Amino acid sequence: MSQIQERGSTHVYKVNRISKEEMDGMVARCVYEEPAFCNAACPLKLDTRAMLKAAAAGDFKKALQIYEKAAPFPLILSAGCEAPCENKCRLCERGDGIAIRAVEAAVSRYGQASRLGGVFRTKKKKTVAVLGSGLFPLFLAGELEKKAYPTTVYCEQEDLERFLRSAAGFLDGEAFQLELKRLKGKDLAFVFDCEIDEAFLSARRDDSDVLCASEEVARRLFPETAFDPALMICEAERLVTGFGEGVMNAAFGAKKAALTVDRLAQNLDPRNMRGSEGAIESRLYTDLTEADELRRIAPAGEAYTAEEAAREAKRCIQCHCEECMKSCAYLKHYKKYPGLLSKEIYNNTQIIMGDHQLNKPMNACTLCGQCTVVCPNGFDMAHVCAVARRNMVSTDKMPLAPHEFALMDMLFSNGEAFMSRLQPGYEKCRYVFFPGCQASAIAPETVKAAYLDLCERLEGGVALMLGCCGAICDWAGRYEMQESTREFLLTELSKLGDPVIIAGCPSCRKELAESVGGEIVGIWDVLEEIGLPEGAHGLDRPAALHDSCGARGDAHTQQAIRSLAAKLGVTLVETEYSGDRSPCCGYGGLTAYANPEVASEITARALERSDAPYISYCMACRDRFARQGRESRHILELVYGTDAGAPPDISEKRYNRLSLKKELLWELWQEETADMKLDYELNYTEEARRLMDGRMILTDDVIAVLNDYRETGEAILDSDSGLMIARKRLGNATFWVKFTESGEDAYTVHGAYSHRMNVVRREG
Amino acid sequence: MAIERNYYTIDPEGKLQCLKCRVPLVKGKAKFMYLDNGFPVELPVCPVCGFVYVPEELALGKVLSVEKALEDK
Ligand code: SF4
Ligand code: SF4
Ligand code: SF4
Ligand SMILES: [Zn+2]
Repeated sequence: MSQIQERGSTHVYKVNRISKEEMDGMVARCVYEEPAFCNAACPLKLDTRAMLKAAAAGDFKKALQIYEKAAPFPLILSAGCEAPCENKCRLCERGDGIAIRAVEAAVSRYGQASRLGGVFRTKKKKTVAVLGSGLFPLFLAGELEKKAYPTTVYCEQEDLERFLRSAAGFLDGEAFQLELKRLKGKDLAFVFDCEIDEAFLSARRDDSDVLCASEEVARRLFPETAFDPALMICEAERLVTGFGEGVMNAAFGAKKAALTVDRLAQNLDPRNMRGSEGAIESRLYTDLTEADELRRIAPAGEAYTAEEAAREAKRCIQCHCEECMKSCAYLKHYKKYPGLLSKEIYNNTQIIMGDHQLNKPMNACTLCGQCTVVCPNGFDMAHVCAVARRNMVSTDKMPLAPHEFALMDMLFSNGEAFMSRLQPGYEKCRYVFFPGCQASAIAPETVKAAYLDLCERLEGGVALMLGCCGAICDWAGRYEMQESTREFLLTELSKLGDPVIIAGCPSCRKELAESVGGEIVGIWDVLEEIGLPEGAHGLDRPAALHDSCGARGDAHTQQAIRSLAAKLGVTLVETEYSGDRSPCCGYGGLTAYANPEVASEITARALERSDAPYISYCMACRDRFARQGRESRHILELVYGTDAGAPPDISEKRYNRLSLKKELLWELWQEETADMKLDYELNYTEEARRLMDGRMILTDDVIAVLNDYRETGEAILDSDSGLMIARKRLGNATFWVKFTESGEDAYTVHGAYSHRMNVVRREG
Repeated sequence: MAIERNYYTIDPEGKLQCLKCRVPLVKGKAKFMYLDNGFPVELPVCPVCGFVYVPEELALGKVLSVEKALEDK
């Protein structure tokens, strides 16, 4: 029995197969984290999307909290803001953009103001003085209060009301009173009736750490000094100030100025570490097809009522990119967008000591490539996961357990079950039929019928090769096995005289094209050319065609299958996500072995597209769908009038491959193969078969245990259940079989289990 | 995650018998080994031939979870 070497626990750092830069480049393709278009257009970086969401839900309190982060005086801002966000709203492309400013006004009016902030906060040590009055000093004071700087405003006015009026005299009576109340609630000190001249200013310079002034004060006292609008500072005077027109300018200026104050207070250069400021362009993608409320809600009166504002906010489609997560059940399962997930998977490969918590997600992607097609930016999660797997293998950190069964199955396909023969009577063949390991395992009758048909109807001879193309080790990231599989297949093909390969499966076709190269066609291409054999007929009910992920990007194959289906008289129903956008059946990438739970979610997602019977052109798809209880046919079953019936379990799959080989060798080449007959009788309870299939235990494993028992007599008896239990270490696992004996040479297996840990007797 | 190095203690309570030696299994010392790690445990063993029994619940429970934790190290 062949065996794959289990890794040790000490890791050898051999090759790093992906650089940080390459990964960063890939991660950057995902725009999930990009701001919504409205948010990006807002110089104050208001999270408009979140505010609208809260308002749409009628939660004006929360909406106001969000708005207040950008606007310390929300009624003033919403009354005077030029709303650059509105033109950028995605809905403008289909109809009316959201009336964001009007919703903000309603939020400011109806939202309950948050509890007076600042009172119990620990304040910063450095003090700030703000000189003068107007919008900029008001907003700046508001920003500084948020940052917890002890701030004193020195103004010419005699009281707070007059100070506010000088800034926001345009507010109506009610709004003015509300903002006055808000201003009173802020943790700010005011000194009124100031005469602000040079002497006054230098006195403030002495008694405060950072000095700020209104535009009026700055221009009056330092008419010649240069002003830096990016930092809002007259550097020569170390005076923070604001210039410009309008409410938004004042608010944005105050934000920039507050950051400058922050840097100066810490004795840092105000130029550095400012992060992103002001409006930006968003790279976000949003699917607009479901946007249906395209007309603005018109207010009955002058401004929105709370209810009207909520209705308008509800029109917002909450711009997000989730194209890949909508279609891929794997991404949905892990609830992470590819930009984040791939970063985590990459980091996982970089861990030398410690837990690799992302092993499971990394091994659960089917490597199907659907995301790359549905993503507006072509994000290639399959590449990320495939490279990560190879990386883990190359650094000897990849656990063998998730993939060992599949890899052993591949060794079986290319070992005991492998065969390669020229067509009887030929010295050299023009073609070789390569049905693929899954076809022989799942539908041996169909493989046989197809081969006989090709032999009969093609000229130049058709050889037969039963084996695995190497996709299994490719998916597992075992690049060394992949290389030896390639060499093996190349040798076998050259023994046949390097004929044209007729692939029976699109994944084999793809894998072989990448590994052994040469001329490869699909059996569907051949059938297109030579026509259908006699007796071919379709289904009498409409069916859904499931495109194989092996044929993604291969319009030719997708087309050939459709044309075959038409010739067979099959009526195909349209499905969402077909052709290049087709999801995986759940078999790809070895997900079905490494993570059966995610695999069945993926299968279920693929089956959600239609209630009709499914026709596929990859045997693994046929099998996955049938296992989930759907009527499922491989197109070759229709072509050859065969029916592979109920899906075989893992042991039957091996048995099918072996008996197909044996049968063909005998019938076509008159070669006899040794009988695999046991010299005792072995039966299984139904429960035992079911358990074995779920636990990846083969009848061969059970037989090995029983052979050993018959030889050594080693077993125990459990008097509770009356069952005998024997065990044997096979490869990297110990297999246990629960059985009963009836007479000398007959056994019934009641159950089986295995563990990978080795157990030994310990002395002392 | 730290791998718990606890001792599985399973008492065969005379319900298990070694078929080869025709004696009841007793609580005995054994060791699990995986990926260069070893864990001392107590399991039902045959006092004569040393057969170590790993019950199904243990194999599919604790043993499996320790295996998984070690595999992802
Ligand atoms: S489709 Fe997915 S991967 Fe592509 S940008 Fe959107 S969220 Fe990111
Ligand atoms: S639809 Fe909503 S989230 Fe999208 S841009 Fe418009 S306001 Fe912003
Ligand atoms: S399963 Fe397919 S669609 Fe989903 S992330 Fe992997 S390659 Fe992309
Ligand atoms: Zn014994």
